[in-house]
Amino acid sequence: MISLRYALVLALCLAAGPFAVGDESVFPYERHVETLDNGLKVIIVPMDSEGLVSYWSIVRTGSRDEYEPGRSGFAHFFEHMMFRGTDKYPSEEYERLVTTMGADSNAYTTDDLTAYHLAVATEDLPTVIDIESDRFQNLNYSLEAFQTESGAVYGEYRKNRANPFFSLYEKIRETAFTKHTYGHTTMGYERDIKKMPQLFDYSRSFFERYYRPENVIILVAGDLDAKETLATIKRHYGSWSAGYVAPEVQEEPTQEGERRATVHYEGRSLPILWAAYKMDAFDPKDKVRVAADLLADLAFGETSAVYKKLVLDEQVVEFLAADPNMNRDPGLFDIITRVKDPEKVDYVLEEIEQTIAHYRENLADEKRLEGLKSRKKYQFVMGLDTPDNLCSRLARTVAITGGLDAIDHYYETMQQITAEDIKAAAQAYLDVDRRTVATLWGKK
Amino acid sequence: MLKMKRFAILALAVSLLFSCVPAGPDRGDIVLLPVESDPTVTMQVWFKVGAEDDPVGKEGLAYVTGQMLAEAATTKNSYEEILAKLYPMAAGYSIRVDREMTNLSGRCHKETIDDFVPLFRDAFRHPAFDEEDFTRIRSNALNYLENSLRYASDEELGKAALNEFIFEGTRYRHPVIGTVSGLKSITVEDVRNFYTTHYTAENAVPALGGGYDSAMIDGFLGSVANLSKDGEGKQAAPTVGPPKTAEIDGLEVLLVDKPDADASISFGFPIDVLRGDDDFYALWLANSWLGEHRNSASHLYQVIRAKRGLNYGDYSYIEEFPNGGRRSVPPTNVARRQQIFQVWIRTLPNDKAHFALRAAVRELKKLVDYGMTAEDFELTRSFLSKYVLHFAPTTRARLGYAVDDMFYGIDDGHLSRFRRRLETLTLEEVNAAIKKHLQYEKIKIAIVTGEAEAMKNALVNDLPSPIEYATAKPADILEEDEEIAVFPLPVSAEKVRVVSVADIFED
Repeated sequence: MISLRYALVLALCLAAGPFAVGDESVFPYERHVETLDNGLKVIIVPMDSEGLVSYWSIVRTGSRDEYEPGRSGFAHFFEHMMFRGTDKYPSEEYERLVTTMGADSNAYTTDDLTAYHLAVATEDLPTVIDIESDRFQNLNYSLEAFQTESGAVYGEYRKNRANPFFSLYEKIRETAFTKHTYGHTTMGYERDIKKMPQLFDYSRSFFERYYRPENVIILVAGDLDAKETLATIKRHYGSWSAGYVAPEVQEEPTQEGERRATVHYEGRSLPILWAAYKMDAFDPKDKVRVAADLLADLAFGETSAVYKKLVLDEQVVEFLAADPNMNRDPGLFDIITRVKDPEKVDYVLEEIEQTIAHYRENLADEKRLEGLKSRKKYQFVMGLDTPDNLCSRLARTVAITGGLDAIDHYYETMQQITAEDIKAAAQAYLDVDRRTVATLWGKK
Repeated sequence: MLKMKRFAILALAVSLLFSCVPAGPDRGDIVLLPVESDPTVTMQVWFKVGAEDDPVGKEGLAYVTGQMLAEAATTKNSYEEILAKLYPMAAGYSIRVDREMTNLSGRCHKETIDDFVPLFRDAFRHPAFDEEDFTRIRSNALNYLENSLRYASDEELGKAALNEFIFEGTRYRHPVIGTVSGLKSITVEDVRNFYTTHYTAENAVPALGGGYDSAMIDGFLGSVANLSKDGEGKQAAPTVGPPKTAEIDGLEVLLVDKPDADASISFGFPIDVLRGDDDFYALWLANSWLGEHRNSASHLYQVIRAKRGLNYGDYSYIEEFPNGGRRSVPPTNVARRQQIFQVWIRTLPNDKAHFALRAAVRELKKLVDYGMTAEDFELTRSFLSKYVLHFAPTTRARLGYAVDDMFYGIDDGHLSRFRRRLETLTLEEVNAAIKKHLQYEKIKIAIVTGEAEAMKNALVNDLPSPIEYATAKPADILEEDEEIAVFPLPVSAEKVRVVSVADIFED
């Protein structure tokens, strides 16, 4: 019998492949990028995937772009309308084609983007390009279809509203932002969802302004011929007219002073504490902004001192997580926890504050910092194992920055981050005067 | 449990390639899935134990024991040390405890494998059963039951309530995570004993996939084979048979009374068909047409959501499908010897619930009475022949399917068998399977609602449920609505049970 130890040595000898994390570029595949004359950017990533491809249409519009009063939730609602057909492919025909292909297809909307995705067999890629290019250029739905779909959107709201995190998220957003559209959630306010059936004309204007080639990026990955795919895309999208109208999103004024909010949840729940600090927009070349991502993990991740204290040793919270939001405009650095003992909410907040104070005043441990850089790179590479996973991982970066270069820039910047940069990020962003703290209390 | 093979074979991909990998003399069973191009390695151990093995009064013991392997200390490392060691590798392992099986699964990059393997091995070989870890894990499980499952997702609550309703009187009844009283009665000593009894070499099947080196196989096999030598006082695990559910008497209803809630509906009944049975593949096609999960081509979705806009979606199932709101394709490693047919009507306003329930049962009746049309059959066959390609795109998913194949005794691979069977399947076979396995007269219905009394009154009196829309609808829809509104749904008063949300899953 061969010993386990020997097996491991052998395995290591085989490890240096195209996915080795020590490679210069962390992105392990070749990529083909081209911008058509009308402004449509196309990114093609050939990869070995046993005959599957993933086709993503990424619209650089989300709930951020809902700047007009009473229009919260409209980007998401409009995502639903994109399945309601064209003259060439009415919704039943679109449905039949997608079904015949056995596509795994869906769409989603976030604050900064709306993504439409289909995973299909390579042989069906030309059909996908045909039907997707058609609906992005020629969407045409009836008033009846529009109004029926608004019921489905309300249903989506209904299924979410029992979730305590949903209520708290809505509260923290509207408290933290007074001007910027990040102040409302992607789902939108219930009062606005109720009025959606009356906004048929507005929906056409929404399509005309935002669903334009300069505001859309096509990301395709999988078993494909890049040259042939690009030619097909050019043929189908080449005549799409430019005409994007940028939304009039207001800048959020600098926050001066802490804000507090409370949510009284209708059901039973342990208290949830959410502290949100104002931070900069995502910029892969900005050391302080990139350092904030590392800071979140070092200070509050599962190997941090405060995690050990609150989650493992004292067990006063169920979980603890920090998330510097990756946004196109200045957003939030969220710290969220669920407190097991309602009497300990203030204590938990104090512990979070002490952790922040520590990182604002002291240098992070170098060994942990290097371990984290390693973790981030392995995480990234291991997540690119299928065409759909790859597109899913990259969609947000592509939407926010407009391309794939940001991936290289981000990991180059990250490699240079020092303990000094981590401290600078804590000082820049984790400022009590620029935070919002919201607490959710359930019924007893 | 189905008989295991001496060694495992595995489909390399759903593209139906098959290779035999003999484990050799004097070795145990092992599932092997070498994928040279995969830069990662996936390791898995299937333990033949699950929530059905929870002792009466200790519901949740299998779940807590599983978590004590995956999210707690070993005798070699504290949990904090384990987290710190896994951290730079971005590697990890987790456990899925289900009704009849438990799977510990981990994944790492090839470059980090020699640091990862000892941690993974220690997790199931040398758990510490530390009291502090136990307290944390049990308290989190209780919070999930008492707060999250009861209050935070009415849809998950409805599905768990239906499971409890259909399987009452059996060891399938309680949530896999346990009951409130069961969890409260568990001690760390119970966990230790449960581990000693059930986590034996005889009950464990290792699985290895991805870019591993073949020299690893012996070491991995050895770590599992040595399990039985690790403890003292091992005893044979008690045998638990498939659950025997009570006969359903017409339409039976469980109303979960949750103040201020909208309506979330699940209904179904047990079916006598399992993955691997020939009828299963015919029924799969029929169910896909009726209610393919998260798919807008689903017939129920078209009737209730697309045409009428009543909710976010409507689907049906012939196999367990946990966390449906969070995934698009079926999960692996929830294999069971008893499945139910189930319809999931997503959250809708209370005043539309009776109508939507009627609409769904009516569509089920039409399917049973008239079968599928040739056109629908061909379209669904075309859909499924390619859709299953998305079920197992990763090594981890394929390894999961391979383990399930062993559970069900499918030696040629479930997905492979299905694709081959699709080629020869006929409309007549599908319609015969529908007639044989589906029906609409003996159904259990679970509804989470904020208007339990009004709902009960409407159901037991079979009151008409006319529907009004805020906006105009085509004449054919309105005409059909009139039929749906009076579609007979006879429920006798003694067959309606109302339970307060604060009491469900208590014991």
